[in-house]
Amino acid sequence: MSLNIFVTEETVAGDDDGPLAGKTVAVKDNISTEGVRTTCGSAMLEEYVPPYDATVVERLKASGATIVGKTNMDEFGMGGTTETSAFGPTKNPVDESRVPGGSSGGSAAAVAAGEADLALGTDTGGSVRNPAAFCGVVGIKPTYGLVSRYGLVAYANSLEQVGPIGSTVEDAAALLDVISGADERDATTRFDQSAEMDAHPAEGSDYAAAADGDVDGLTVGVITDLLEGADDRVVETFEAAVSDLRAQGADVVDVSLESLEHAVQAYYVIAMSEASSNLARYDGVRYGLSTGKEGNWNDVYADTREEGFGAEVKRRILLGTYALSAGYHDKYYKKAQDARAWIKQDFDEAFAEADVLATPTMPVLPPELGESLSDPLQLYLMDANTVPVNLANLPAISVPAGEADGLPVGLQLIGPKFGEETMIRAASAVEN
Amino acid sequence: MTAKALSQRDLATVIGLEVHVQLETDTKIFCGCSTDAAEDEEPNTRTCPVCLGLPGALPVLNEGAVEAAVKVGKALNATVAEHTRFHRKNYYYPDLPKNFQITQYDAPICAEGTLEVSVEGERRDIGIERAHLEEDPGSLQHKGGSIDTADYTLVNYNRAGTPLMEIVTKPDFRSPQETRAFLAKLEEVLEYLGIFDATRDGSLRIDANISMVPAENVGDDGAISDETLAEANRTEVKNISSHKGAEKALAYEVTRQKNAISRGRAVEQETRHWDESRGITVSMRSKEEEKDYRYFREADLPPLEVADWKEKIAIPELPDARRERFREEYGLDAESASKLTSTKEVADFYEDVAEQFDPDLAATWVADNLLGELNYRDMQITDVSHRLDEFTRLVELVAEGSITTKNAEEVVLRGMLDDGDAPDDIVDREGLGAADDDEVVTAVAEAIEENPDAVEDYHAGEGGAVNFLVGQVMQKTGGSADPGDVNQMLREKLDE
Ligand SMILES: [Zn+2]
Repeated sequence: MSLNIFVTEETVAGDDDGPLAGKTVAVKDNISTEGVRTTCGSAMLEEYVPPYDATVVERLKASGATIVGKTNMDEFGMGGTTETSAFGPTKNPVDESRVPGGSSGGSAAAVAAGEADLALGTDTGGSVRNPAAFCGVVGIKPTYGLVSRYGLVAYANSLEQVGPIGSTVEDAAALLDVISGADERDATTRFDQSAEMDAHPAEGSDYAAAADGDVDGLTVGVITDLLEGADDRVVETFEAAVSDLRAQGADVVDVSLESLEHAVQAYYVIAMSEASSNLARYDGVRYGLSTGKEGNWNDVYADTREEGFGAEVKRRILLGTYALSAGYHDKYYKKAQDARAWIKQDFDEAFAEADVLATPTMPVLPPELGESLSDPLQLYLMDANTVPVNLANLPAISVPAGEADGLPVGLQLIGPKFGEETMIRAASAVEN
Repeated sequence: MTAKALSQRDLATVIGLEVHVQLETDTKIFCGCSTDAAEDEEPNTRTCPVCLGLPGALPVLNEGAVEAAVKVGKALNATVAEHTRFHRKNYYYPDLPKNFQITQYDAPICAEGTLEVSVEGERRDIGIERAHLEEDPGSLQHKGGSIDTADYTLVNYNRAGTPLMEIVTKPDFRSPQETRAFLAKLEEVLEYLGIFDATRDGSLRIDANISMVPAENVGDDGAISDETLAEANRTEVKNISSHKGAEKALAYEVTRQKNAISRGRAVEQETRHWDESRGITVSMRSKEEEKDYRYFREADLPPLEVADWKEKIAIPELPDARRERFREEYGLDAESASKLTSTKEVADFYEDVAEQFDPDLAATWVADNLLGELNYRDMQITDVSHRLDEFTRLVELVAEGSITTKNAEEVVLRGMLDDGDAPDDIVDREGLGAADDDEVVTAVAEAIEENPDAVEDYHAGEGGAVNFLVGQVMQKTGGSADPGDVNQMLREKLDE
């Protein structure tokens, strides 16, 4: 297969019956699978075989789904094109000269190319929605805490969630039904000590059933701030889809979130800071690559990390280390946290005016392979519409809105905290 | 740094401690691995994805560790925080599976406490700045040399994730003796709380900060200004593992620093390593680098609300209060009260025995006989925990007069400890059951009848004669009669 979708093709059968019996699922290669190597798209973990299954993988197996392989991704999730993978880039099934988006590029491409009915991706700053938009499929980033992260190899642990990808909203929502729910091994999914809730929000929810296409009376808020920098062709397709929602009975209003102009900077400072700590464990002592050179342990660590990590990963570890260092912590990390709090507050206010918020998922059409790698800053700016959602711990979905120049355009709908059902309902109307 | 040549008498010692205490919980702080005797197991068998820091594993806080920390807070009269949270302390070290340690930073679970210590009759309150929870790293074994010279190093993660409490004192100590008294007291309190096992290797690890300040800058109440403290160069002494070690290490450091200053040399601000076997501290690195741990919030652990835990979690009566109560309630002297409250198990056992029998008898038996014989055998009460009812039975045998005190001590107690036998079995086997009155009366009559010469000597006023007759009676009763009683019965009979 020339698209380079899988890092490892291996079939793992699930239980005989269950809600996903007979369905095939591709799993992003940063989700731990017992006995099947989990590389995170990195030479560092090329040979790493986890001794345990991630909670979402356990749930997939119990649902009757068959896992067909581990999908390619940007190294440790750091990228938006799947080009930073140590295993080479994945091509976009819609147009093989273009990137599939990332970092869950392999997962979105697997569904778009018909290699799997469904796929699991992970979304730290847009990594499910971005490739879903570029490959013309549906991807959901759940509210932080809806889905267990146990077994998801951390990049930026305060931001990321495992998310489903499918060819329709209902398919993706059915996979969300399977993977969501409290997990005693992930404290951020536990609400048993929370004052706000007495049960996990997935309890009593039916996400697939919410995909009923009924938006009559729903208020959709268009975030005008995020249209300004976007490609005209993208905006045009987006606006046509929004008009269609209005035609189906939705109220459409404009909303503005001033704080969003700081989102990309805040996101990268936080994500890189957390990454510098999360990736510290790859030192060659317990698992993964070890160059095994002689010398003191400090030199051996440095050597292993020099060889095992790619350029983008090194860049983010260095910047994150810098942002957390004494003397810079207040200037960068603390400021980014302040911005994050402000963004959360802006979203709260926006949800007083609208039930769901809408933006184009990506401000651009899928780039050509190799086009964006040379300019990391340009790449980071591509995340402007997706990262605010992660900073605010909110749910969002990318659903195909149409095509521009023969390339898919995604529409992003953002829901309030644990408001997945409303968001899914609105997204299914976009498919009408 | 100006090094004024001050004479040794003009210097006052200032010490602050950071004490790492292993908390006794069933499982590790962030995973389900057992902590029970983890150091005795095959290396790296008490591990799981979480405490090995495998990719994707997540920590989940053990409520048992939080409970233990709240107990420590209450026992130290500290403020237990309403909201507490965890941070990551980032540094690379081979014993640290994730290359960061999950610890607490800006919201420790306990702050602002005190512990009273007494040195040579003088009582002082030592301030506790903070006490926080964190995970223990694994342990390293250097092969073929020390940390610097080893051929290779083995790492064992069995200990990784054991809950630790770091207790940081204020710089309130004015002598090494005070640190020893504090640490002994702290151990005693922790043991009472049932969250600490002093016999466990590495259960207590101490770092000490020590400096000398001009004595004239110390107030009458022992207060020292922050300015004075900031001006003094201090050393941090690491690798201390006991309260005795702390006193020795710091006494060495006091002498070393005072000598330097009195010779007009500055004390270098540095970290020093206590070499227990050589009894000296050695410099670890000449230039003290301020480490940057890049602390930030651990997002995998949600903030913890412990506001109502403080009410819900009870702590037992602490040693000082119990000592005082023993003196009042049971009329014990200071020494006995102190011995009988040395550990919670001893105190509980004493109270159990005292309530069934006479408090004085109980005190003699528990404090003197039992603890004395255990101590002689280098044993602790914890070694005989499962046999305490047998010791109660022994006291019962004495209290009801079934055996003599002498036999109880010399034969039964020792037999119990040396051979592991039950008291009644020893009494039966050795025929120690106290002779009943009839048997003694008969033996007295026989002794008089069989020894007319001695009877004659007695009436002639020879004092030794009665002792001879007592010996005869004791022989006949196999030593089970009370010699005092026999003496009296003989005199009564002879004087008839
Ligand atoms: Zn474990």
